[in-house]
Amino acid sequence: MKLARFFTVRKVLSFLLFLSIAYAVYCIHYKVKYWGFSLSPKQVTDVWRIEAKISFKPIGKKVEVAFAVPGEKEGFSILSEEIVADGYEVLQDKKENKIILKGKNKKGRQNLYYRLNVYENTKNTQINKQIPPKMDRPLLPEEEQQQMSKIWKLAKEKEGDRAQQVIAVVNQELANPSMSLVLPLKHTKKEFAEKVIQILAYKRVPSRIVRAIKLLEGKKTEKPDIMLEAYIDKEWKLYDLETGKIGLPEKWIVFQRGGVSLLDVRGGEKSQVMFSVMKSVATPMKMAGYRAKDNNYLSEYTYSIYTLPLLEQNTLKWLMIFPLAILIVVILRNVIGITTMGTFTPMLLSMSLVKTGFLPGLVCFSIMIFLGLIMRAVVAKLNLLLVPRISFVVIFVILLIQVLTVIGYRIDSRLVGSAIFFPIIITAWIIERASITWEEEGARNTIQEIFNTLLTAIIVYFVISNEYVRHVMFAFNELNVVILFMVMLLGTYTGYRLTEITRFASLAQKD
Amino acid sequence: MFGWIKRAKQLKANGILGMNDRNYSVISKYNKRSLYTLVDDKVKTKQLANNINISTPKMVGIIEHQYEVKNLLEIVKDYKTFVIKPAHGSGGKGVLVIKDYDGEKFYSASGEELSFKDMYQHVSNILSGLFSLGGRYDVALIEETVNFSDVFKDFSYHGIPDVRVIVYKGYPAMVMMRLATKESDGKANLHQGGVGVGLDVKTGATLRAVLHNKPVTIHPDTGANLMDLKVPYWREHLLIGALAYDMTGLGYLGADIVLDKNRGPMMLEINARPGLAIQIANGRGLKTPLKEIDESYPTGLSAEERVDYVLNK
Repeated sequence: MKLARFFTVRKVLSFLLFLSIAYAVYCIHYKVKYWGFSLSPKQVTDVWRIEAKISFKPIGKKVEVAFAVPGEKEGFSILSEEIVADGYEVLQDKKENKIILKGKNKKGRQNLYYRLNVYENTKNTQINKQIPPKMDRPLLPEEEQQQMSKIWKLAKEKEGDRAQQVIAVVNQELANPSMSLVLPLKHTKKEFAEKVIQILAYKRVPSRIVRAIKLLEGKKTEKPDIMLEAYIDKEWKLYDLETGKIGLPEKWIVFQRGGVSLLDVRGGEKSQVMFSVMKSVATPMKMAGYRAKDNNYLSEYTYSIYTLPLLEQNTLKWLMIFPLAILIVVILRNVIGITTMGTFTPMLLSMSLVKTGFLPGLVCFSIMIFLGLIMRAVVAKLNLLLVPRISFVVIFVILLIQVLTVIGYRIDSRLVGSAIFFPIIITAWIIERASITWEEEGARNTIQEIFNTLLTAIIVYFVISNEYVRHVMFAFNELNVVILFMVMLLGTYTGYRLTEITRFASLAQKD
Repeated sequence: MFGWIKRAKQLKANGILGMNDRNYSVISKYNKRSLYTLVDDKVKTKQLANNINISTPKMVGIIEHQYEVKNLLEIVKDYKTFVIKPAHGSGGKGVLVIKDYDGEKFYSASGEELSFKDMYQHVSNILSGLFSLGGRYDVALIEETVNFSDVFKDFSYHGIPDVRVIVYKGYPAMVMMRLATKESDGKANLHQGGVGVGLDVKTGATLRAVLHNKPVTIHPDTGANLMDLKVPYWREHLLIGALAYDMTGLGYLGADIVLDKNRGPMMLEINARPGLAIQIANGRGLKTPLKEIDESYPTGLSAEERVDYVLNK
């Protein structure tokens, strides 16, 4: 007996509902985190295309081009990589993050392309903990040593860590006589960086040049931007050479680290690189496959509905919305207590409204019901038998749809033309039921029932036509399992319907 | 909002049975689906009733097929008056009462004059399922008319007054009488404007009466004082209800009973899903008597013993 009480239908269903909610929450978390799904249908992912055009003039028989490329895990994930170099042998040096192109007997100016599609995937950022070799204090002439200590004296007054202090000093004290000797007033950014590295080296702080590109739509540049990386507090930190800010700014992508040049052409001259950047957008769903792959969740993704052909996906997207619509109908009927014509008739109506648009559909539907009821009233006098009579109504509705559609097309009115989207049989049944109700229960009940049906259809319409709801129900389709158990649990709801509270109002007082 | 919650709590305190509760806790528990066929078909119900001596209006004949419709006159030739009804109908749909006829003209109880062609059409409609649940093919049942007792003459306008007994596990739990009004057009359904009179289960006397959910004391058309209403042959009324349980096995049923001048109370039909309006007519909830029956009424009694148990309680 005790066991039976523990396993009541309601308790079991409540438990299953709880489980399904937990499952859905887990899946939502997982899809957002590893597949990059978003709760909003409007969110897009930026996809950047960076093209490096390498050109040079060969001078020898053999040409070898080494070009530094971005490695993985730099705040961006690589969607695709493409090298256009006809007649060249392509080698990839993953360890050094380089591509090496080897060619023979090349004549004339050579143009080679490296194209990279990346998207932001900030979760990939990792701290670089690679330990640099121990540095010895560089041996400098007396004069330079004195300068260095002067600079460091100035630097100590600045804020921030040592690298920031040095960057600030070099930036602000250019006019200072002790500085002008070190760095001429006119200098390149590379020279600036090298100077900072030199000053840091005096205090045995390892540092290096970083070449990065800022992603800006339509950007074209010959030179990547230069930043500084210093090993401070046992990790590599990236510094902006103008502001001294730590860390890679948003939308920057690192191409190369260390002093080695970005492009190295052996057996060629007048080499140059031209970078161009283009931006495109993609929905998170389109990117989900790549994200899943990056996060090693590819097999789970492969067996999800999002890898199906688009046609199937669209059909499923349309289907996924119905459990929610059904839940609403169940609530309206069993909790609110609205009586409608047929259980799921309002749902089918709202489906049509989605296709016709709200107002045109509603007006057109009302016209059809109105004309149908008049015709049905005329035919009622003939005392036809049931099946032929309903058949008459069905055929009448079909003819009516034809006429309305033609008229709608000729006068170019969406209002009238939307007739074609209404389900024939459903419309005919509504007319038939309405006319029988009219005879048996009177006009008031009929109008009430039609009103209830339309009201339910409208409520369902606003839910299923909502872009957010559709997106969420499709992207997080586990919610349908939750709805399943909610509907089942509602099947055990024995409380009053809202309308009954009014119906039995006279019984609410104490005797 | 709080008003609603408060009212819902009051309804619960008063033991009002809601639709969801009725379907979940009562009907799905005590009314097996397979038993529904016993009460959905009036011909079957009548045969079952006659087997255990529940009196029903005498069956004159049935018309099952379209080709038999022309034999209508032959079937009713020994009867001056008769009723045609669909065997699977509900709520009085398709019931035609003929008070008098000659070879050509038929006069209905509501004063219409019908030709044989009209009669033919009506029976055809019944057979094609016009009045039956779900539009299934049906059978036309022809019965003797009920000679309504004069006791209720002043209490009903035109239509037929009937007693509805809610029977739970074989015990009459709540009773009401339904009276037709001008507004309800001879029908006695409460939502169509009939008067509902709650009756005391023990005596058959009026507890209170409602019209459109509001208490009334006089009939709106006849002016009769509804408080004077007291149903005679009360024990026989209840017994029909109790026997209906034995006959069908339905744990929760509504038996519709009419009073015939000569033959006493007769059962018209049994409903496997009786509505909840009876609570309004009685001014109290069904849950209270149902709970009482569940908790304290003895089991294993015969129909007569059960009725006596209720009467002597």
